[in-house]
Amino acid sequence: MRVNFVRGAPVEWLLDPEAEPWSRAQAEKVELYGTPIGMQPTEIIRTAWANRKIGAVGEVRVSALHNGEVIAFRLDWPDATENRDLDDTSAFPDGAAIMLPVVAGAPLATMGAEGKPVSIWYWRADADTQGRNVLSEGIGTSRTLDTKLVSSHGVWRNGRWNVVIARPFKIQSSDPQVALEPGQTTEFGVAVWEGSNSERGGVKAFSGAWRPLEIAPSTGGGKA
Amino acid sequence: MSKRQVAMVFDLNKCLGCQTCTIACKRLWTREEGMDYMWWATVNTMPGRGTPRDWETSGGGFKDGAAQPGRMPSRKDFGEAWKFNHEEVFFGGKGQSTHLHVEGDQPDWGPNWDEDQGGGEYPNSYYFYLPRICNHCTHPACLEACPRKAIVKREEDGIVLIDEDRCRGYRFCMEACPYKKIYFNHVKKVSQKCIFCFPRVEQGVAPACARMCPGRVRFVGYKDDQNGPIWKLVEKWKVAIPLHPEFGTEPNVFYVPPIAPPRYDENGNIDESKPRIPDEYLVSLFGPKVLDVLAILKAEMAKTRAGEKSEVLDVLIAYQWKSMFGGFDRDPATIEWTKG
Repeated sequence: MRVNFVRGAPVEWLLDPEAEPWSRAQAEKVELYGTPIGMQPTEIIRTAWANRKIGAVGEVRVSALHNGEVIAFRLDWPDATENRDLDDTSAFPDGAAIMLPVVAGAPLATMGAEGKPVSIWYWRADADTQGRNVLSEGIGTSRTLDTKLVSSHGVWRNGRWNVVIARPFKIQSSDPQVALEPGQTTEFGVAVWEGSNSERGGVKAFSGAWRPLEIAPSTGGGKA
Repeated sequence: MSKRQVAMVFDLNKCLGCQTCTIACKRLWTREEGMDYMWWATVNTMPGRGTPRDWETSGGGFKDGAAQPGRMPSRKDFGEAWKFNHEEVFFGGKGQSTHLHVEGDQPDWGPNWDEDQGGGEYPNSYYFYLPRICNHCTHPACLEACPRKAIVKREEDGIVLIDEDRCRGYRFCMEACPYKKIYFNHVKKVSQKCIFCFPRVEQGVAPACARMCPGRVRFVGYKDDQNGPIWKLVEKWKVAIPLHPEFGTEPNVFYVPPIAPPRYDENGNIDESKPRIPDEYLVSLFGPKVLDVLAILKAEMAKTRAGEKSEVLDVLIAYQWKSMFGGFDRDPATIEWTKG
């Protein structure tokens, strides 16, 4: 997927999944798969989900833009239910995430491995604009580094989620995090959680494999 | 497995259902946002559906070592923190024209909804109180369920704690716990439960529910402390047993089962041929060992009636209040507490 450059696009536009610049992005359909039951990290989860469908969302459309300073992903997928609250114990929110390798060769299926971390930018409908910047080095190890660096916003309209997840290119951090810059090529993965199916944690739909990501250089691109 | 294990024994023959333990816990631990419906310590009438509603048939735990699926109790099953029309009744000048009532949706369950209903038919009706906290299990289903390793069992004392920084509110633990003693804080978005008052225990102070109990029901101590009450009641005299041992989690809260007064026959005469609380009911709660325990207790009671001494009854009577706490008898008023 190519991350198109939109010269001078204000960050507010990139963070609005319905804003005009998104019409210039090249959307790519990404097929999603339920995470395999055997990879669920605890026996109780494997037992509880043995006869339940994991991965209610089968496909997501992904596009991405940058303005030279901020890179933003937009994910949209059909969802009949808007699950934002967790007021009752059995209510789970919808969620989505973009995963990026911090080092080449970091495995996707296990969300990284020891010494091969991945960065995860995470949106959850109950904390819409509070994106989470997550570091993971294997299943069960993910930890939130902060809730400030990654911006997010989702709009649910007419049975569709339209969610933007964004981060500045330049960051300062003592933790391992994905380094990105215009002109770079790397890979990305996607995950979507369907709250109405009680999906949370490792119970989710994911892209199965890394997909190529080509970030356009900050040249040309036209005016926003 | 932890190196040592703190434990409690609840003597059901002494519990009067006063809920002082419940309130002691509430005032100390569950007054913050999102905790209003939580009761880490509960006391329910048995037979009864309990808190949360029908928890005994909610699944979870282990069978023959294999994890069992469990049901997620709803907030209504636990009982909501109802809002009352206090303002109207007490300050709105309507004290004579309206009643105190729950505002909004009328509840059909609560944390002590079937209090004192019990079972059996008059004149042989019966009930007893069942206090419950987190069992700080040796084989905790909650800990094993968590995909984030957010639940720990402490090496030094076996207390099971949820790390709220690692918890992401997935609630697999709530489904897995067969005792349904974990709550979800919908404001902080984390699971929360009884912490065995670990900040007190670390200072040599018994948990608040135990120290506040006016009935001297709750014994505290290390399981392996041969001078303490737990070892004597559980290991030496074998009169305290876990609730629902078939759930497979090896609880560290033990119960001395209840002995009811004798029943009457159809002529109104005392009938000692069978117990007022049916054996099969107690077996359904505590397993078949409960019959052995009742036999031991009855034999010891017979001894004391014959003028002999009974060590186990002396321990249960708890002549010396501090003897109940296995060394955790420091007065909390002597400590300067700071909130971390």
